[in-house]
Amino acid sequence: MLTKATTGRAKRPAKPITLVGVDVYIITEDGIPMFDDYGAFKIEFVSNRGTKVWPGYVSDDLMMVNWYRCRFMATRTVTDADVDTFMTTLSKKWKWSAAQKLWNYGDEAGFSKAY
Amino acid sequence: MGKHVITMLPGEGTGPEICEAVRRIIDHSGVDIVWEYEDIGLDCLDKYGTLLPEKTIKSIAKNKIAIKGPTTTPIGTGHKSANVTLRKMFDLYANVRPAKLIPVLKRPWDKIDILTFRENTEDSYAAIEHMVSDEVAQCLKVITWPGSVRIAEFAFKWAKANGRKKIQCVHKANIMKMTDGLFLEAFREVAKKYPEIESGDIIVDNCSMQLVRNPAQFDCLVLPNLYGDILSDLCAGLVGGLGFAPGANIGDNCSIFEAVHGSAPKYAGMKKVNPSAVLLSGVMMLRWLNENAAAEKIEKGMNKVLAEAKTLTYDAGGTASTDQYADAIIRAMDTV
Repeated sequence: MLTKATTGRAKRPAKPITLVGVDVYIITEDGIPMFDDYGAFKIEFVSNRGTKVWPGYVSDDLMMVNWYRCRFMATRTVTDADVDTFMTTLSKKWKWSAAQKLWNYGDEAGFSKAY
Repeated sequence: MGKHVITMLPGEGTGPEICEAVRRIIDHSGVDIVWEYEDIGLDCLDKYGTLLPEKTIKSIAKNKIAIKGPTTTPIGTGHKSANVTLRKMFDLYANVRPAKLIPVLKRPWDKIDILTFRENTEDSYAAIEHMVSDEVAQCLKVITWPGSVRIAEFAFKWAKANGRKKIQCVHKANIMKMTDGLFLEAFREVAKKYPEIESGDIIVDNCSMQLVRNPAQFDCLVLPNLYGDILSDLCAGLVGGLGFAPGANIGDNCSIFEAVHGSAPKYAGMKKVNPSAVLLSGVMMLRWLNENAAAEKIEKGMNKVLAEAKTLTYDAGGTASTDQYADAIIRAMDTV
């Protein structure tokens, strides 16, 4: 049943939502993390303070902190259960502070690229 | 080979005509520079498929110093900002923007001499945004201890080296207790090392009001990225607008000097835009290179032209073209 909290407010026109990946925020003191093959998810980039540090050019003097955003994109159609399995596997090796599912809304990505 | 090799990024819109005027003036100052021209901005898309070609990146990485004309950043969707990409790629963490009164522009204040030090790589500019439901967008505001310490260190060192008396940290730590709280804590820690410089803090909304009511009370401001972006434009408005607002993006090993204003594409090719903001950015660059005599010569020449008020661009109340204004400064440089 709808409550007052969800009725009578502005509604954005709905678009079909598709799960396409996961951003995982990893804490490590050992530099840019490198990842194994996770099957349903493949690493696309790693950023530090919003700056892409893998792959591609990284300034020698770029200051990095111990917190990396790691973007994993789905290699096939995936479900929430695939994300659960993936995160369980990832947790065996990496300490992470948060994870954010990546969804497409219609044809548009609901997530920003890294600089 | 010249004493200095500098990457010149004319940019797009009015950028090339402005940068050409600026190059002529800087060359006339007698400083020994070899200019390496490289492409940047929307005009690169057809040619290279990117706003920031690899060749441009390599030139900046090699020379470690560049001067940049304006570029356009698409709003909402599309390509990433070339400006922000450069700042992040080369870790240009300190955005320094002076706001000083310009003689020819009549303003309601007798004195304004404000330096803003904007942290240039963190905050909500970390580009971490998600649609976390179909109705809710989220942007992560990233503030780090080392990032906050180094911008505070940079500001205090600059202030000390340039005889400035007072620095204030601008924040909203009463509401954003973790992020702005960390920024303020780092500032206070660094301030302890500089007892000769008066330090304090001010909440960003109060700072905005005070800047408009009584700007003479301010000396140096240290700000996180977003507040710095907004308030440095406010300061530019106080002294006469973006036509005279220079800026420097400085890292530990690389610096890019650029005007604050956009590329004004509707004026492209008309040669009527004021080149002063890029020129003053060039003056900052010359001082950064310890070419102080050349910097002073240009500044005096420009101030003479502005004081005479005979050869001014449209925004300053005149009818002179970009080139006529540049020629007037070049002539004035020979007499000051």
